Amino acid sequence: MRSPDNNVSNVFRPSRDRGIIYHLRDVVLDRESQGISFRLNVPSLQIAQGEKIALIGESGCGKSTLLDILAFIAQPTSIGAFRFRPVNTGEPIDVGALWRRRKLNRLGELRKRHIGYVMQTGGLLPYLTVRDNMNLSRNVLGLRQDRTTEDLARELGIARHLDKLPETLSTGERQRVAIGRALAHEPSIVIADEPTASVDPLAAEKIMSLFIGLAEERNITVIVASHAWRHIKRLGLRRLAHHTQRSRDGRTTETVVNG
Amino acid sequence: MRLFKILRLATRDYRHEWQMSGCFILALAAVLGPMLVLFGLKFGIVGGMIDQLIEDPANREIRPVGSGRYDAVWLDRFRKRPDVAFLVARTRSIAATLQLKSRASNRILNAEMIPSAHGDPLLEGIAQPPTGLHRVVLSSNAARKLGVEPGDHIDGSLARRYRGRHERVHLDLEVADVAPPAAFPRDGAFVDLVLLEALEDFRDGHAVPALGWSGSPAPDQRHYPSFRLYARSIYDVATIKQALNDAGIDVRTKAADIELVMKMDRNLSTIYWAIAIIGLVGFSLSLGASLWANVDRKRKELSVLRLVGFRTGDIVWFPMIQAFYTATLGWVLAIGIYRLAALAINDMLSAQLADGQQVCVLLPKHYLAALVVTVVASVAAAALAGMRSARIEPSEGLREI
Repeated sequence: MRSPDNNVSNVFRPSRDRGIIYHLRDVVLDRESQGISFRLNVPSLQIAQGEKIALIGESGCGKSTLLDILAFIAQPTSIGAFRFRPVNTGEPIDVGALWRRRKLNRLGELRKRHIGYVMQTGGLLPYLTVRDNMNLSRNVLGLRQDRTTEDLARELGIARHLDKLPETLSTGERQRVAIGRALAHEPSIVIADEPTASVDPLAAEKIMSLFIGLAEERNITVIVASHAWRHIKRLGLRRLAHHTQRSRDGRTTETVVNG
Repeated sequence: MRLFKILRLATRDYRHEWQMSGCFILALAAVLGPMLVLFGLKFGIVGGMIDQLIEDPANREIRPVGSGRYDAVWLDRFRKRPDVAFLVARTRSIAATLQLKSRASNRILNAEMIPSAHGDPLLEGIAQPPTGLHRVVLSSNAARKLGVEPGDHIDGSLARRYRGRHERVHLDLEVADVAPPAAFPRDGAFVDLVLLEALEDFRDGHAVPALGWSGSPAPDQRHYPSFRLYARSIYDVATIKQALNDAGIDVRTKAADIELVMKMDRNLSTIYWAIAIIGLVGFSLSLGASLWANVDRKRKELSVLRLVGFRTGDIVWFPMIQAFYTATLGWVLAIGIYRLAALAINDMLSAQLADGQQVCVLLPKHYLAALVVTVVASVAAAALAGMRSARIEPSEGLREI
């Protein structure tokens, strides 16, 4: 447990009244591909509401895997405890139990309502206009069609593209649409996997600060994976500590994340 | 509601990818079209040929050997058997002739009179069957030699020696119709049984009051030496033959020919079913493979739908809806291909065919069957592939690109 003075001494530490959204203990995911086994080990991880978390590291170190676990789209091999409490007032939800019982639709329900996800390559549906792509989650949730999407598009600087198809947009513009889609249904958490990896460094910095700014305004918890810390440390994110070990024969890799 | 959303998304994707969709439709039609042509040919040629062979009256005829004594009651009873298509009594053949003469020709024809009635298999397609004492259907040979057409009147005459005197009588006959050449190859006429009875009575020295011919009164009880009998189909010939044999009547049938036709029918059917089944399996496999590949290609997009909260069950509908579009549109195109091919084939062979006969034919129910098979096979393949896609963790689909 945290000591009370942690709240005072460290601005990145969550305070009690903000509430813990994610609580993970001894969560392990093993994967094997082409004779190399990979293990992601999370002895302890707590993320509070409104926190901005950065996960920095080389590709292949397990950043994406951790994000997938947090977005309930990858099933951990073993779970000590995995609790999710998206709203302050509600009871924590036992995600571990949902996975064990293969309640995929219940997990999908949680993800749909509370999580926005920005994919590395945008993941926009090529057959929908920018507006419909951004509205996708709102649409699935059956939310009212109001000015939210237009306002968001204006803030992201893509308002004039709303009725175009994604294929007519530049990579940077597409990533802005992807960010817009992840925010449009007003989730409490946005998870972004290298959202600016495919964009040139200058645009990347701009998009990232825009993204963090929008999330901050809306008091959304942000978890970002990136390989470039230098771009985002100015934005006031908490860097999640992790270290990666390779076995001497290079056949096994283990990444341990704590925070 | 969620299904409606998926329907809209699937439709928009299908339209957006119109080139790819077009390729799938073409691929389906390219397999289904020739299949339809094959079926059309099987149904048209072989079906038609076999039907002709099977239904050819000559193969269904059962002829009593020699002459017997059959009364009207027995004949009526036998005619009512469900496997009997047509039965009419014959009079003595020696008495069943008439000399025919028309105004158009000065030839006098010695024509055989064949007893007939409504439903005579030899006169199929003839609108005006012979009836009563004055309406006859001429064989085509007789009509040609007499130079007459339907509606013309001809003169029939016959002679007898009665009480030592030579007597000749005439009667006016109307040509109701002309029989097809295959019905009777010689000079003859199909006539109502009452006319044949009148001819026989006159020759026997009896009176025929209806025609004003005098003589001794005709006997009350009439017996017929023979009859014309046709089975409903060639498959009934054996049973009828057995029944007649049991009644002590020796008959002649075309059993050997029938056996040959039936064997041919069986063999050809086997061959065509083999081709059809191979074609159908190939068709299903190619359809399944292309739809499966398509779903695989769309895994990432389907994963995005999972990510934004569509359920596994909803996602499966996505490829199923698109497969339904492909199946329906492909079917429409295949029918277009088939219609063109059928038109060309029928046109090419029209010279060798009888009027109205077609080599390549499909019935509406065949089109419908093709649609049902195509849609069911497509949607099933898409459902299997979709289920496989939906079951994987969304993260796997997302990381593929």
